[in-house]
Amino acid sequence: MKSLNLAASDLGRINTLLSLDDAAALINAGAPLAVAGRKEALDQLPKGKWIGGTTPYFLTGEGGQIIDASQVFVTDFSGLGAVDVVVYDEHGLQGITDDAPENGFALAILPFQSAVHRRFAAEASSYPQAFLKPTVGWIAGFDLGEAGAKAYVYNGLTGEALDNRVAVLHVALEDGQMPAVEIVNIFEADGVDVIRFTEAGFSPAEVVVNGETVKFADYVRSRGREDGRLPLVGDYSGARINSSIRLIEGDTVHLYAPVFPGIDYSFAAPVDDYAAAFQSEFAAHSQDGALWSCNCILNFLFGELEGKTVGSVAGPVTFGEVAYQLVNQTLVQVRVL
Amino acid sequence: MALPPKSAPVWQKLASGGMKKLRTSNLGAQMLSQRLELSKLPITQKADEVYDFFVKWERGLTNEIAQLGSL
Repeated sequence: MKSLNLAASDLGRINTLLSLDDAAALINAGAPLAVAGRKEALDQLPKGKWIGGTTPYFLTGEGGQIIDASQVFVTDFSGLGAVDVVVYDEHGLQGITDDAPENGFALAILPFQSAVHRRFAAEASSYPQAFLKPTVGWIAGFDLGEAGAKAYVYNGLTGEALDNRVAVLHVALEDGQMPAVEIVNIFEADGVDVIRFTEAGFSPAEVVVNGETVKFADYVRSRGREDGRLPLVGDYSGARINSSIRLIEGDTVHLYAPVFPGIDYSFAAPVDDYAAAFQSEFAAHSQDGALWSCNCILNFLFGELEGKTVGSVAGPVTFGEVAYQLVNQTLVQVRVL
Repeated sequence: MALPPKSAPVWQKLASGGMKKLRTSNLGAQMLSQRLELSKLPITQKADEVYDFFVKWERGLTNEIAQLGSL
């Protein structure tokens, strides 16, 4: 791997895989960073102004990759406004938005299947400042081939790996700049049924299908959707927000993101070629000012994106994505306009 | 087009279902619309929330602001 020329980059906009030495050099130079990689790699980084999360899966300009512990993915937030590293426990999650800069955004990383993950998923869209101080981010994961692996986030200020906290970068922007939080969702409702849930949660027991209440597990099986390839698509006033099927255990369906009452859901229509679908969606989206993005592990796996490029975006492949609230099977992007 | 003042009736219209009628691809506006629909807050409080949202993101809501007069 080519070594990073710090002088040439002038700590400019880096959003790519780097060697551990180059990532450490950026940290030691004081750059505010979001870092992603394997735990063995993140554990080696020096203390500094960074947050991190575990995943070995990435989209890069050269295509989707599964990396080893010799590299990490680094996004550099230098050259914007002030950037602060903050860590919250499950009781302080509203601080993600409350404490965010007036003009800027929060980048949050949460460990998969932790209390902060579950609570943030349930609450995020109800925080008073949720739509005035936007949050983007991702759910840290692990190598699916490693038995017993666990997700961690990192507080770079202390170097701690945390399995029950959210690590946040509060990124301020300069006057005249504005963050734009956007999603690229290649899934659309299949138009077969309209379904509603009577309670919020990751494991709803029942569902109302075209007005008739049935066991959710029975409905998923009746539609042949228990393999999790196709998410539920919720209609949020025109925005398509996915909740993906994780697994079915007996009568219990486990989702990667909670469903909520009052939202019309449908299963998604099948997508044949994920990479082509993303390219098509990207054609309708400006990439001006693109700063950071992430995409979902289910898109990576089911779309067979290893070795394939997805537009011009690069970033971690994750176990859940945050665009104001937790979403699934979606590319999330923040641009600065 | 300038934003109507906070006292303008359009904010309460938006807060009581008008947001759903906006043609928008702004993710924040869409998700706020959904939150307002499900919220049990008083209409005046919802209207304040809509107003604050439009003030904050005015530069990115040109198309939405142009529709306010026809709600």
